[in-house]
Amino acid sequence: MAATEPGPFERVYDQHVVGIYRFVYARVGNHPDAEDLTAQVFVRAVEQLDTTRDPGQIAAWLYRVAHNATADYWRAFYRLPLVGTDHVAPGWEPAEPTVVPTDPDDRAGARVQALLRRLPDHYRRVLELRFLQRLSVAETARTMGISNGNARVLQYRALRRAALLEEPTDG
Amino acid sequence: MADREPPERRDEDAAERFDGFLETLLGDGRPSPDAVDDRDEAEMARMAAELAASGRPGAESAPDPAFVEQMRRRMREADAGIDAVRQPPPVREQPLAEGTARWRLTRRQVLQAGFGAAAGMAAGVIGASLIGQAQRRQIGGDGTLVTGEGFWTEVARLDEVQPGDAVRFSTPAFDGFVVNDGGTIRALSSVCTHMGCTLAYRPDWQDLRCPCHGASFGLDGRLANGKTAWRAEGAYRGDAHAYPIELPDLVRPEVKVADGAILVWTAQA
Repeated sequence: MAATEPGPFERVYDQHVVGIYRFVYARVGNHPDAEDLTAQVFVRAVEQLDTTRDPGQIAAWLYRVAHNATADYWRAFYRLPLVGTDHVAPGWEPAEPTVVPTDPDDRAGARVQALLRRLPDHYRRVLELRFLQRLSVAETARTMGISNGNARVLQYRALRRAALLEEPTDG
Repeated sequence: MADREPPERRDEDAAERFDGFLETLLGDGRPSPDAVDDRDEAEMARMAAELAASGRPGAESAPDPAFVEQMRRRMREADAGIDAVRQPPPVREQPLAEGTARWRLTRRQVLQAGFGAAAGMAAGVIGASLIGQAQRRQIGGDGTLVTGEGFWTEVARLDEVQPGDAVRFSTPAFDGFVVNDGGTIRALSSVCTHMGCTLAYRPDWQDLRCPCHGASFGLDGRLANGKTAWRAEGAYRGDAHAYPIELPDLVRPEVKVADGAILVWTAQA
């Protein structure tokens, strides 16, 4: 069994698992949820994906399902009704020529960088220390010469400002 | 520089609470939707998640090899099981013989929980039948299936499912419970309609409870601890205790009872 050729699902999986995972991780920011959502995408693929379709269509289908899965993940936070990953029909085809993000996490990263640049200095600083350098609240506070309480308030306000600056997205 | 001045009390409280969400996220835990208070905070949570991800480029945002391997094994199982899944089991003669092989939890090797789980949603046929009432789909006299696309699968014996009971079953396409809701036999998906976690039956509560975020579904397949359900029962205990969002009903495949056996209809394209 072990020496046989990979089957159609395994081939699709091997080709896309890392890309889908990064796509999802860039949107949820933690590994446990990224694993869950990635699993959902491939579970859905096993049920519905026609592996005989051409590779571009398969990729587009997978990323569409991944997009819906992450959108639903956030809908739970917004208390919105869920769309469900099965929203993408097995025969779904992209309206436009296939657009698959070639390096999804880098693209998301660039967006975050652009956003940070638009924030006031102390907001940018607190977010960089907390999220990019991954310092604790206490370390961040010490670095910035403020109290722990102020560091928490500052990161809260900085996130609020950043969220307001961000372009509305479809998810 | 208002932010450098002593913060207002209200902001301080919100900031401290929200920091709980951030600590979970940055500690690579699984943040709960309950940690955010409103839509503004949901936006902030999402922003925080993207920031957290962008702070971990390259190898740090790659999947764990153990996870990749585990999923690959499931893909192999799907590749191996694909014929078994697409081919209905042989239709049995009636009456069903005692001790006939049945699709039970042992079939989970073919389709692990998640697979069967989500497949249930695709099966999506609604139905419930009263014991002894007219069957909505007949099995022909020669024992072959005469209607529709799909097949019946025996999942339990009727006498195993007493009123208030829920018995777990698993077919190649569907994971669920057969329940006896005060005399009505019903099949319910075991997949929570929130994020797809597997529900567990609690005999004391007569409900199917989700281990992930605590949704409770009644034996009718409806969310039982949401605001709407509580208000309808006149038992509203306040938003803080209710499940925060309304969830769709559990998928209910069609069931029938024949010869003391409970059968579930699996639709097939």
